[in-house]
Amino acid sequence: MAQIPSLDNAPLNLTSLREQSRKELINILKNIRGRKLLLVDPKLSGSLNLITQFSLLKEHAVENLRHILGEPIQSDCRSILYLVRSEINLMKFISSHIQHDVSQGLQREYFVYFVPRRTVVCEKILEEAKVHQMLTIGEYPLYTLPLDEDVLSFELDFAYKECQIDGDTSSLWHIAKAIHKLEFSFGLIPNVRAKGKASTKVVDILNRMHRENAVGSDVGVPEINTLILLDREVDMITPMCSQLTYEGLLDEFFHINNGSVELDASIMGSQQSGKKMKVPLNSSDKLYKEIRDLNFEVVVQVLRQKATSMKQDYTEVTTQSQTVSELKDFVKKLNSLPEMTKHINLAQELSKHTTKPSFLGRLDIEHTIVDGQSYEICFEYIEEIIHKQEPIGNVLRLLVMFSITNAGLPKKHFDYFRRELLHSYGFEHMTTLRNLEKAGLFKKQESKSNWLTVKRAMQLVVDDTDTANPNDIAYVFSGYAPLSIRLVQHAIRSGWRAIEDIVKLLPGPHMELKREGYPNSSVLETQQEGLANLDKLVDGRRSLVLVVFIGGVTFAEISALRFLSSQEGMAYDIIIATTKMVNGQTLLEGFMEIMP
Amino acid sequence: LLWRESWEQGKNPLASKGSPIHGPRIKLVEQAHNLFSETKEHAFESKAAEEHAKLLRVQHELEVSTKRPLFVDSSVSDTIRTCITLGYEQAAAKVRAEFKVPEKRWYWLKLLALAAKGDWDGLEKF
Repeated sequence: MAQIPSLDNAPLNLTSLREQSRKELINILKNIRGRKLLLVDPKLSGSLNLITQFSLLKEHAVENLRHILGEPIQSDCRSILYLVRSEINLMKFISSHIQHDVSQGLQREYFVYFVPRRTVVCEKILEEAKVHQMLTIGEYPLYTLPLDEDVLSFELDFAYKECQIDGDTSSLWHIAKAIHKLEFSFGLIPNVRAKGKASTKVVDILNRMHRENAVGSDVGVPEINTLILLDREVDMITPMCSQLTYEGLLDEFFHINNGSVELDASIMGSQQSGKKMKVPLNSSDKLYKEIRDLNFEVVVQVLRQKATSMKQDYTEVTTQSQTVSELKDFVKKLNSLPEMTKHINLAQELSKHTTKPSFLGRLDIEHTIVDGQSYEICFEYIEEIIHKQEPIGNVLRLLVMFSITNAGLPKKHFDYFRRELLHSYGFEHMTTLRNLEKAGLFKKQESKSNWLTVKRAMQLVVDDTDTANPNDIAYVFSGYAPLSIRLVQHAIRSGWRAIEDIVKLLPGPHMELKREGYPNSSVLETQQEGLANLDKLVDGRRSLVLVVFIGGVTFAEISALRFLSSQEGMAYDIIIATTKMVNGQTLLEGFMEIMP
Repeated sequence: LLWRESWEQGKNPLASKGSPIHGPRIKLVEQAHNLFSETKEHAFESKAAEEHAKLLRVQHELEVSTKRPLFVDSSVSDTIRTCITLGYEQAAAKVRAEFKVPEKRWYWLKLLALAAKGDWDGLEKF
């Protein structure tokens, strides 16, 4: 099955977006004569896979496609094309390649294309290595990558960490640029709502871009009605919770990367064990589309049901005589068999993890922490898993939740945990702890916590959650409604005004804005006017809301949003854009300094 | 920022070196310790750096006395566990005392180490 998702059912014409990226790539290839070797940044190869297939590249005389490595190039191609992010390490590789070739007396042409744009630092490095003159430098403006029908990614891996720790806000420019580009295709977005430092900043940059380079009114009726921007910082609890949807769990245990997971072949029922295989996961797979957002408990039931009904059909076929059309129906059903097998295999593997007592224990404690009532129990649980030296990622996730819900820990406990952590996991984690402290994720208590107020007002804990027939987004975490999505829910319905008191309790400023199709007219809007337009349907279509998560979003949150838009009385389709797909693990990895 | 930098400096050579000569590493960490102790807010960091230097020293001694290159670069808990697993009960107790390991952690470590070793008699006794 194709790894590139079909985007035909997308509420927005995302195919054109992908087409454009593909065309731009081909143009770059066309501009380079002769056979060429394409060297890609390993981080980009997943993205490339979502845009195009190798066969297409081959048509344009790409001899070979490889990851950039430190070793010199072994190839007889005369042209070398590098496709890289602006990263210092990669520049060093490139210079060493060229220097090696020069020392060997090899003559080649080198092209370096930066994704999405060049930076001064990188060019400086190339200059210093004295290879700048031998290069042709270009840009491949890949700002937005459609991951699925309703999910876009800006592929900014460390946006969150860069803003929080390093004070590097260049990713915000990137986000604004990406949205600006979207507006050129789909029209100016009239309503904007933002919460968080980074989000409001992006809106500022976006407005400036709009003034400098206005989106013409000739694009027609804006296809996207409302833009909601949300900082990850506003809600760090949700990503720290274990995701319980099917897709979320797959991500927690196998790590979904660019719409596929890499698994040991034996899991998928293949004979050759030890070999890795890629399993694509996107909505082109109808069964997956149906079950990805469900709570995993339910998924198992659904799969069982489907299997039984198929078995029943089968016995009917073998025992009774059938008309040709009935046979045809049966055969049609059989076509879905490979998908069935795939998901049964995956679900079986997941169950191995989800039935472990340690996993269930963790879920239990997560709920206790979110509930915010029993400090002692949480404290002792975390203390115990540190002492047992459970994986540090798990420990930190709980600690972050614990610290946020209590607005930090009392100094005595804070120091105690820090010391126990360093003793158990090594002193090199000092930097991790400092980073977390700087980001406010694990810190000393300085003020009283307002988590209980937020929890109550936003109805974050929902007691009787029916995971099979959910009536609230809380089903994705079996009883906890993600704060981030609650915010979006309110923002769509009524804007910030109705919940202003609560919004103020969360980190960062918030803003509401109404924009019009000509420059210098963006006025801050506090009235509810925008809503009247919002509810109107344009050309009988549902209106579209673009929700942007700065700093990443989890699969469970996406599931919750999909659930929202599928609810009756919701006249909106929701498209999600994120700097990166994340989960608690990957977010925290950004904070652990990788050491050589 | 100065102490932060020195901290990183002290860290990086740490991770990259696996050689048995640990003198320079310990010096660096001690330097970090001194820098941290110059200001009040970094009392915790200073203490951690001090302990780190101490740990490296202890680990170095352990490697020399046991002739097994297993200790350096592992954490305090790991060190204790390795000691128990290898049967150096006294050394383990010494490390425990030196780093004031709380009772709860000590019992977990001992339990896990004995279980890993399959020392059921030892488990029985304690």
